[in-house]
Amino acid sequence: MRGFVPYLAQRITRALIALWLVSTVVFVVMRLSGDPVPLLLPPDAPRSEIFRVRAELGLDQPLPVQYGLFLMNVVRGDFGRSIHYKEPAFTVVKGYIPATLELGLTAFVLATLAAVPIGLFSAMKRNSLVDHAAMGVALIGQSAPTFFLGILFILLLALKADLFPTSGRGDWRHLVLPALTLGAFTMASIARLTRSAVLEVLGADYIRTARAKGVAETWVVAKHTLKNAAIPIVTITGLQFGTLLGGAVVTETVFSWPGIGRLAVQSIYNRDYPVVQCTVFLAALMFIAINFAIDLVYGLLDPRIRTH
Amino acid sequence: MELTRRDLLKGAAALGAAGAVPGAHARPAHAQTTQKKELVVAQGGDVSMFDPHMSTSSNDIRVSFNVFDNLISRHPDGKLHPGLATEWKLQGQTAWAFKLRPGVKWHNGDAFSSADAKWSLERTLDPAAKTRVATVFTTIDRIEAPDANTLVIHTKKPDPLLPARLAFYGGQIVPKKYLEATGAEGFNRKPVGTGPVRFVSWTKDDRLVLEANPDYWGGRIDADRVVFRSVPEAAPRIAGLLKGEIDVITQLPPDQGEKVNANASTRMVGALYAGLYVLAVNSKVPPLDNPLVKQALSLGIDREAIVKELWRGRGIVPSQPIAKGDNHFDASLPPLAYNPKEARERLKKAGYKGEEIVIETTVGYTANDKPMSEAIQAMWKDVGVNAKVEVFEFSVRAQKNRDKSFKGLWWSDPTSTLGDPDGMMWRLLGPGGPQDYWRQAEWDELGAAARFSVDEKFRGDAYKKMTRIFLEHFPWLPVIQPYEDYGMQKYLEWTPNPNQQFEVRKFNFKFRRA
Repeated sequence: MRGFVPYLAQRITRALIALWLVSTVVFVVMRLSGDPVPLLLPPDAPRSEIFRVRAELGLDQPLPVQYGLFLMNVVRGDFGRSIHYKEPAFTVVKGYIPATLELGLTAFVLATLAAVPIGLFSAMKRNSLVDHAAMGVALIGQSAPTFFLGILFILLLALKADLFPTSGRGDWRHLVLPALTLGAFTMASIARLTRSAVLEVLGADYIRTARAKGVAETWVVAKHTLKNAAIPIVTITGLQFGTLLGGAVVTETVFSWPGIGRLAVQSIYNRDYPVVQCTVFLAALMFIAINFAIDLVYGLLDPRIRTH
Repeated sequence: MELTRRDLLKGAAALGAAGAVPGAHARPAHAQTTQKKELVVAQGGDVSMFDPHMSTSSNDIRVSFNVFDNLISRHPDGKLHPGLATEWKLQGQTAWAFKLRPGVKWHNGDAFSSADAKWSLERTLDPAAKTRVATVFTTIDRIEAPDANTLVIHTKKPDPLLPARLAFYGGQIVPKKYLEATGAEGFNRKPVGTGPVRFVSWTKDDRLVLEANPDYWGGRIDADRVVFRSVPEAAPRIAGLLKGEIDVITQLPPDQGEKVNANASTRMVGALYAGLYVLAVNSKVPPLDNPLVKQALSLGIDREAIVKELWRGRGIVPSQPIAKGDNHFDASLPPLAYNPKEARERLKKAGYKGEEIVIETTVGYTANDKPMSEAIQAMWKDVGVNAKVEVFEFSVRAQKNRDKSFKGLWWSDPTSTLGDPDGMMWRLLGPGGPQDYWRQAEWDELGAAARFSVDEKFRGDAYKKMTRIFLEHFPWLPVIQPYEDYGMQKYLEWTPNPNQQFEVRKFNFKFRRA
């Protein structure tokens, strides 16, 4: 494993820089978006009251001072107190993470489990009716807005067919529609990419060689094709996790699922800076961690990557 | 819950039936009665605070008005009724004496007394308590609690509206002893009130569970539990109602009422909003500083068409700046007229030269704001007004509201917090108020005099004169007084309140039993 330590060090440095950039962008954008105080007080509150509350929240400090304090506190794991809930922001966000993980992982697993066989099958039966049908559905999955898909599922599968609850979190039946909605885009993307990756490998010389020397077709697919097609699939899978986190914002709002995506939206409306900052920071951390893990998996899948 | 083969078959059958008859839902015929013991309410956003002195948002007060009681309560009929106070009386000009209800217990078993009421009202004014309702009781000079069941409030000047103030936000009474022991944060985590329901648990953005207070002085409510859910999107909220998962939904959009009524087991109920939807006017910028131009703008709005087309009839055309249902509403005034010919003439008389008039609107801060802006822009174009619609974001609106920097006209939905013009037009349009963009000496004098008079006849005359001046100057262009609509199951009997309070009490709520 020569070169693995510098590889790791470089990756960690990049991850830290990305986290710093994300935090800074969110800090700046939230401050550009407006003052939370008029939203907290009754519309007839006098100016003195507005100034008092601004001071109470530390918003009367110059921006560089606020930013400096913010960075110092983030390093210590302190994201400040939620303006809306009057609790530490981290405590608030922490309460929403399990719901998002439950939904995100279910969607992710469903999408991957369905997408890889579909893509593989489509590639094997290239240009058949099955291939066209599968890729057509994938195209819809990729292009239908999450919002539209969510409402469609609610109207058809929850209201008309009475199969699942319309919204909220509870037993497994509550999970089905939001997971399908959230996973649709990911499933479509992975299926399409799997198909093209497998097609590319199927045209390679070593596959012809394998076939020529009489290796059984199932073995050709399972060992030679899938393993070599895995790298682009794993890459897109990691990136799709980010799409899932982004999609959670809409899906959680449509299905009133109590996760961090919905919290982020609500907190932006409420100008709850600390909660937005903490949510985005943790989401970025998750995204970076997943991709970091995937980088490591590459190293295992393909030794050429870690030495270059 | 297990999904059986029968459920699946039923689902498939329903899907087939629904495909054949658009909008049909499989519903049992006996849905008009129920054996339910749990009331599920869905609103557009979650609760943020339980401490009633820390928030005035409508999502919060729907809950806090049920966990807590006020000394005086405003019922759905719009009138003031006894709450924790059984009687109240003005003594002289500035002292109000309240007789408090004996034998009331807090949810934790402690006895309620005048010390709680005194402490609670003083807390709203205490800078150290950092409440969000510090502006509600600024007329109060001092409070005395001579015995456990008597409270005397002295105001700085005569305050005819003190009882009305006590009935709205800021006036919810909190427990002195418990709050002092737990601190504000502990209290907010586990609130204790005297109201008809008590706190059980809360999972943020998911569900808030409350249970009936068996010893409630107003009688135990007809449900064991009340659950508040937050469902931000209207479509799933309505789907949940139609399917029977939810008993009551708030903020039913006007164009969805027919759907809810067409469904066999649900119906729409509404209360005429205690307030108006108006285009507020920056009367400082030309040409809006000219009353003739504003009269022309008012005459150029076809409000009947707006009510009929954009609100599906769920509203009335206003006649004045005082909301119907409020004190001193003048029923003799006709609805604001639509007269394009007269509008053109007044514009001509005003010397209007086609200067641009800007309507600033969000998409949805007030219901239908953007469609109404576009409709009015077209109506004004017909009479020769060069109107432009600019869309801005909620936070920009909040900022402009604070800085008083609107360009021309903008939507506002003034709520009548006190059931009286003082709590609406004077609160907002008065000198120094949040919508102070227009001053007129006589109007200002009348408003100030009416605020501090306990003579209702004098006040009535003052508001009549103020209305006359208003209808000449139009610091607001009132457009509609809409209904606040809710969707609910037919097995419920419940009357909504006009002012966003959402009260579940024995007198206004029950399940229909078979």
